[in-house]
Order: sequence, then structure tokens, then C-alpha cells
Amino acid sequence: MTVPPFKRILIANRGEIAVRVIRTCRELGIESVAVYSDADARSLHVSLADRAIRIGPPPAAESYLSIEKIIDAAVSAGADAIHPGYGFLSENHDFAGACSSNGIRFIGPPADVIAAMGSKIAARTLAQKAGAPVVPGETPREQSDTAIADAARRVGFPVLLKPAEGGGGIGMKAVRDEAGLSTAIAQARREAQAAFGDGTLYVERLIDHPRHVEFQVLADTHGHIVHLFERECSIQRRHQKVIEETPSPAVTPALRQRMGDAAIAVARAAGYRNAGTIEFLLDPSTGLGAGSMDNASFYFLEMNTRLQVEHPITEQVVGVDLVAAQIRVAAGEPLPWRQDQLAQRGHAIEVRIYAEDPQRGYLPQAGPLLLYREPAMPGIRVDSGFMEGSEVSVHYDPLVAKLIASGETRDAARRRAIAALRNFPILGIRTNTTLLLELLQHQRFVEGHVDTRFLDAEADMLRAKLGETPPAAALAVASAIADSTPHSRSTVSAPDPWTTLRDTRL
Amino acid sequence: MDDAPGYAVVTVTPLGDGRFEVTTDTGRVIAFGVRAGAATWVFLDGRVYAIDSRQPATGARAKHHDEAALAAPMPATVVAINVAPGQAVNAGDVLIVLEAMKMELAVAAPHEGRVRAIACKVGELVQPGVPLVELDG
Repeated sequence: MTVPPFKRILIANRGEIAVRVIRTCRELGIESVAVYSDADARSLHVSLADRAIRIGPPPAAESYLSIEKIIDAAVSAGADAIHPGYGFLSENHDFAGACSSNGIRFIGPPADVIAAMGSKIAARTLAQKAGAPVVPGETPREQSDTAIADAARRVGFPVLLKPAEGGGGIGMKAVRDEAGLSTAIAQARREAQAAFGDGTLYVERLIDHPRHVEFQVLADTHGHIVHLFERECSIQRRHQKVIEETPSPAVTPALRQRMGDAAIAVARAAGYRNAGTIEFLLDPSTGLGAGSMDNASFYFLEMNTRLQVEHPITEQVVGVDLVAAQIRVAAGEPLPWRQDQLAQRGHAIEVRIYAEDPQRGYLPQAGPLLLYREPAMPGIRVDSGFMEGSEVSVHYDPLVAKLIASGETRDAARRRAIAALRNFPILGIRTNTTLLLELLQHQRFVEGHVDTRFLDAEADMLRAKLGETPPAAALAVASAIADSTPHSRSTVSAPDPWTTLRDTRL
Repeated sequence: MDDAPGYAVVTVTPLGDGRFEVTTDTGRVIAFGVRAGAATWVFLDGRVYAIDSRQPATGARAKHHDEAALAAPMPATVVAINVAPGQAVNAGDVLIVLEAMKMELAVAAPHEGRVRAIACKVGELVQPGVPLVELDG
């Protein structure tokens, strides 16, 4: 057995990602230290770790987001490294800095790189310098109507006129062609002036139905950088990803090469270390019109300087352990693979099971998992931080489990995901399981023709399929439970005696 | 009306630990179910049903059953009161609508009768076991 890269790693996170990291620590012979808030005292990650340290009350600001408490826990536990997971402090450069100043290795990029990539403007400038395409746009120095119109022509239609000082979509005007331009400029300027007290306009190319395609990269401290191909994450709502897959149905080998090269160039220019993700917008219209996606346009969006929620699909298709690689690279070991040793094999789809009610505006749900049975079948991996009897807390994000289905083809993976969801009962709180099943069987998903607006556009249609009167079989099961004396067999003719049934919403 | 619930004969065999074998004329599936207060959660083929499992009443039912039927099954908020004192009701009429855990629950008349009094108000958080309506008859 080789010497473990670290002796003891503290995992500054909770839920499924803490469980995920603890499991790899165990494989590598590294002691794991969990931290927990009072809400998580009996959580799976706490019971799996070699030791667990309470860091505070349930609110994240007083526990998982407290740099001081987590550093104190790491120091008192004698941890020589910290894995931040995702979310919480994972992209906080002060936290990364606090780790180094306390002699603890932060399993992630250097603090200054986190800071640089955390600024959207700085990251865009850096990407541009590295030769990666960014969404074309400019703030014309001269702001006359003529100058704005010239800028729109330079950027190329369709364009988006945005208040330079703005945000949140306020005052944005889409302009399809020359005809609507002058009216839109005047209107955008008025709205910008009214909303932000500044009529300065930014002119940007409008990407109409983009796909979200991101590249996983990994860099060591010896100057090596590889990418581990793409993940397509276009099924999302309000920037919350719901289904991810790899390979992307829209990416051809030639396009993959171009995007992978761009991702590595950005990571190299940033002085990147450890695992990171370069997010791109892919404009499918530029490829479909030309008959091939080889030359499709893509644009750098941002870089995430941490492990992603959806990393397992990459692990399944590339056959690697990204967490193990992160740990080894953080310890100073060279990358375990060269680019030419990496290949995609088969297909993987991740669906995120959230505690939420899709029929009530995706309202997050909290409560006990009265019954929770993970499916076990070929090609299925479930990453979760919960067990039957666990409580989904109001304090944290509503992710219950990630179900990752792999298969030799996209359709095989898709079918496995469907079969697994049909055998993944979660009772006691409402989840989006049925919505996921509808999505996986939606004609556009089946064909792979999705974009980032797909879920919102289809939301009403999908929701309509969710509400359903319980079928006789469901009523019969409820009946059997209601008069559950321990008899072995009961035959009922439903809906006897279920005449008072009122709640039929999912 | 071919697939109207209620006319298919369903056989349910408890397999233990919340698992049930369900046989219908179209086949056999494994369902899962668990009771939470008066609601029963059932998982069947990727769909979840939260079923209000209070027994409906017949005139022959004992009084304590009536009281249970007229109370909230779990801590809940009153969202609607559909009847007024003195009003005549039929068995199965929805008297009160509650909301608990983001789920609507109905309190239905266990038998025919006349409303004597209403013991709750809209917006009130009510506890299980306490009758929300008094019913004569």
C-alpha cells in the first residue's frame, strides 16, 4: 500500500457531497473528519466519518459558512487538508487563504485564482486573452443613437441592449434586425435612465436558445492540465440544474476538440490548479444551419473553481474518481492521466431528486423521509446524504439524491434512469420524481433537442401531467395499510371505503 | 368509464417493511406505502399519492369515530369552513378544508345531520384529536 497523500481530511460540507468525499478518503486510507450543525447531528455524513465535530446551530451562517468555526475544527482535529465540497465556502477565497495561513492544505485552486475567477468581468477578460470566445458585446464609448446602432451591427443581430449599470434583466431589449433598432435604442435608454439613473447601454449578441455545455478540467502543480470532456446541463430552471448528461447530444468530435482546447487555454491562463469547470453557452443555431455542429459557435460563460454537483456523470463515462484526483493533486502529486489516456465510453445521465413540490412553484419541502429505498440495478449509482428516517431540513438545499444512470448508449442510460426512478420510493415529503420521469420521456429530451429554456417553456404542460387521481391499486394499498392487522392477504374492491378521498394532488 | 377507479379488482399482499405486491387485471407491481397520521403515502410506478385515509362514516359508527373524523388528522391550518351552524349536511359533505405539509385535507361529514357548532376559524392552527365541528344526528 502506498503512503496516503494526507493523514486526515476535514470535509467542510454536509449531505451527499460530504458522504461522497468521505467514501473516497476511506478508499485512500485517509482519516475523515466530518463537521455538522445541530440540524445534522444524526446525518449520514456524520455517522460515516472517522470522527465528527459539531460546529454550531442550524443556520449555515453560524455553522457551514463560518470560516472561523471550520478552521478551529480542523486545527483541533489535526487535519492536514480540507475538502470544501461545493457550495458553502468552496469558492470563498478568504476561506482558502485561512486554510493556508493555518498550515492546512485547501483541496482546490489557490486563493487568488478563486478571487480572479469569481469576478465575472475579470474572468471574461481573462478568457478573451486566452483566446476563448466570449459572447460578443461592447459598451460604445460614444453613446449616440448612431454609435449604438453601429455597435449593434458590429456585434451582429439578434442583439440585446442592456443598461451598462444594470442587472436582473431590467431594461433589456432584444432586437432582431435593423428595422426595430432605433425604437429599441430610445426605449432601452429611457428604461436604463429610469431604473439606474444612467442611460449608458451595453450591446450584446443575443444567443436565442443556447445549450449549457461545460467542460471539466483538472490541473496539477507541475504544469499539466487535462480536460475530462463535456457535460450538457441544459435542463435547468432559474439556473438550477435538474438533468445533466455526457456526452452532449449536440457536441461532435470536432466541436469537442475546439471547446476542450478553449477550456484548457482558459485554465492555463488563470494559473489554475485542481478540479474546475469551464461553462460555455453553445449556440446550436450556428451549427444546425450549417448542417453540422463542427463549426457551431460557443462562448465562455464562467469558471466554477470547485467540484460540481454533476461530477459523477464524468466519473462514470471517463472511468475516473475526480475526488481522489483532487486529493492527489492537492498533495502535490502529478496528474494521474495524460490527455491522450482519457476517453469517453458510453453515456451517463444524472437526475437530481429535490424535496420540492413542482405543482406549487417548486416550493421546497422539509420533513422526515418516512420511507426511502434506493434502487439497486445495473448501471445505477445513487449519491445521497440521506437514509430512511432522515429529516430533510428547512435550513439547507433541498437536494435529496442524485441518481446517475449509465449505459452503452444515450437511450440505454435514459431507459435505466426511468426504470430506477420507478423503483425509488421516497415517501413522507413531496419530491420531483414524477416530473423527472416525465422529462426523461419527453419527446424533445428523447431526441436530445433541448436548450436552457426547455424546462420553463414546457413547465405548464409537464405540471398538467403530474396531478392525477390515485388509481385503484394505490387506493388498495392505502386501504391495506389502514386496516393493517398483521393478516397476510387482503382483497379489496377499490374504492371501497374510500369515499372521503379528497387529496389527489401529487 | 372503463378505467374509473373503483371497478378494478385489486389484490394487495403485504410483503413487510412497507412493501406491497399489487396484482391487477393488467399485471403485478411492487408498491410502497407508509402511514403518517391520517394520510397514507403510496408509491406506485414512480408516482406518489398522499391519500387521506380516514374512514367514511355510516350511521352505525360509534361516536368516538365521529369525533375522530371531525378532527384534524395532524397539526394543520384551517383554510376553509364550508358550513354554518344549523345547516343540514349529508354524509361525505366536506365541512372543513385543512392544509398540512403543503397538502389539502378535507374534514367530511361522517353521517347525515345538522351542524350544531363550528369550533375553529379560518387561518387557525389546529391540533389533532380535537373535533372542529359538532354535528347532531
